[in-house]
Amino acid sequence: MSSEAGITAAGVVRSFGSVRAIRAIDFEAPPGEVTALIGPNGSGKTTLMLILASLLAPDAGTVRICGVDPLVDPLAVRRMVGWMPDTLGVWDSLTAREILQTLAACYGLAPPERERRAEELLRLVRLEDLAGQPARVLSRGQQQRLSLARALIHDPQVLLLDEPASGLDPGSRVELRSLLRTLAGLGKTIVVSSHVLVELDAIADRAVFVKRGKSVQTQRLVDAGTQRRTYRICAEPIEPLLEALSRHGFGFTSSAQTRTNEVDVVLDGTAHAAWLLRTLVEADVVVSAFAPAGGALEETYMTLEVGAE
Amino acid sequence: MNPQTEQVDAVSPAERTGRGGLPFVSGVRTIFLLEMRQRLRARSWYIMLAIWFVVIGLVFGLAVLTTATVGVDNGGVLFDLVVGFVLFFGLLVAPGLSANAVNGDRVAGTLAVLQVTLLTPSQILAGKWLAAWTASLGFLAAATPFTLWALALGGVDPLAAVVSILMLAVELGVVCAVGIGVSALASRPLFSIVTTYMLVAMLGIGTLIAFGLSMPLVQEDDVEVVYSYSTDGQQYGPRQPSAEAETPLPATDCQSETYRQTVYHTERSAWLLAANPFVVVADAVPYAPVPPSVRDGSAVYRQPGVMEFLSIGVREAQAGPDLEYTCEESYLGARELQDGQIPIWPLGLGLQLLLAGALLVAGRARLATPAHRIPRGTRIA
Repeated sequence: MSSEAGITAAGVVRSFGSVRAIRAIDFEAPPGEVTALIGPNGSGKTTLMLILASLLAPDAGTVRICGVDPLVDPLAVRRMVGWMPDTLGVWDSLTAREILQTLAACYGLAPPERERRAEELLRLVRLEDLAGQPARVLSRGQQQRLSLARALIHDPQVLLLDEPASGLDPGSRVELRSLLRTLAGLGKTIVVSSHVLVELDAIADRAVFVKRGKSVQTQRLVDAGTQRRTYRICAEPIEPLLEALSRHGFGFTSSAQTRTNEVDVVLDGTAHAAWLLRTLVEADVVVSAFAPAGGALEETYMTLEVGAE
Repeated sequence: MNPQTEQVDAVSPAERTGRGGLPFVSGVRTIFLLEMRQRLRARSWYIMLAIWFVVIGLVFGLAVLTTATVGVDNGGVLFDLVVGFVLFFGLLVAPGLSANAVNGDRVAGTLAVLQVTLLTPSQILAGKWLAAWTASLGFLAAATPFTLWALALGGVDPLAAVVSILMLAVELGVVCAVGIGVSALASRPLFSIVTTYMLVAMLGIGTLIAFGLSMPLVQEDDVEVVYSYSTDGQQYGPRQPSAEAETPLPATDCQSETYRQTVYHTERSAWLLAANPFVVVADAVPYAPVPPSVRDGSAVYRQPGVMEFLSIGVREAQAGPDLEYTCEESYLGARELQDGQIPIWPLGLGLQLLLAGALLVAGRARLATPAHRIPRGTRIA
């Protein structure tokens, strides 16, 4: 892959009438990585996905998909991009197999290739048994998996997945995670938008946070070690823990989210956390749990949310 | 999960970066097959076909009884009636089959899935139009038993029959194109279906109203009109085929009177009728001329059917007022129109195609992506 691979978007602006869906988003998704697009409802995630998928034109700003401008050559972009929309649209009366074969035809695959590719993807998303059933009998999660297979039909270099995990059962989520990691390992560029931050923690390499149509922060998950975050400590009984924390000058909080034998402590990164844990254990505090209170992404998300108030 | 399956490239890297989409026809075929699959699996189409069959059957049955009672033993009248009814019901059915084809998909969230592929808006519209047209031709096919029945009764010119059916198919195609165009333009299926019905009503009834309302504009008062009539009583009415019939009408028996009256120059307003689907079909059919065959007594009098009657009426309107009513005309009950009269149906079909084409072009612009402007309240996906 050349240096042109991946997605870059700079200064993207898009309004719908008087509604400014995207005010200023800078976005980058390098190949071989899973980039999470995170933000509250109405923050412009889906609009950005539509722009990246060459369905929507930005009012201003530049977008490059593997070096190609979707405004200049949308067909070249479409050959490279697989898009899974957040709204589930299926042709009710068609079977899963027919849907995949039709989409393969729409991407110009030859008839034998269509059949082969459809069977391959049905296997991949575990819908072989339901391949002959009309799509209307599929459950939401099954339709979601079909939608994912649809996005993969032409083996795209770039995958844009809008809320792919919604409606999936835990087993399917684990599978989605390993599939996306596999695809990223093959050098593909993957963008995932989701609210399920815990899921993204495990899938994503990087995260771009958007709020009110603006990109507010980019985070690499490998950097999370130096991130200042909240740890939840559980001790039986809790009194020695509280005493030890006070002795070392740590502020602690208990909230509605913590149980009676738990407290939250803000720590500066993993090294700091390791030091505190050792200190507590050496002070004979019976620590039964010591872990980040939420995912790294959730932590950032909540900071941004609080900042909004 | 099997990572190996993902490594097999469906499209080679060279193709991937190449410009250009699918060959036009293969893209259209993909959409056509997708649409037809859905239509053929929906029960509504079969129910509509069944209702259609029953209704046409009832009308046909009544017509058979009526013509038998009146004593017109002519398949031509029945055939003409079937053509008229199939056109009438076809105009009612075709908008329903076409006018939600694009925005229905948009509402269901399946349109964007197609737009994000290599298909172009033209291919999507063409495929959907072909499918809607094919579905409406199903209705034409369902009327076949009745057309065949009428043909079996005899008296129908084969060429007239073929042209009638062809023009019916063309008109259904035009209405479907209008419906597809409107459905690409409008956001809501209900709105586009109603709009399409309005456009069809405009063509079918609006043209008649416009023609009627234009009468004062083509009115001319105080015009000299010559009326002639035969004084020989024997000359009235259809003559029996006999030796006497071979002699030409005696000119001396003819008397003329001149009146001053108001006339309507419908030759100036007849074009308003052109875009009427019934006029287009009726005017395009080459009916065997009625009066001359009666005049020379070589054929029995032939009752014109409803569509043929319409055709005669339009040609009368095209010819304008008869300022010199000759003896021969008074004998025949109708004047003989000049052979050189320009048929009006190409103009009508042209106007219809212009309307459908304009709607399709505008609809195509609405499907173009990446989209710049999006109407309020609609989502791309």
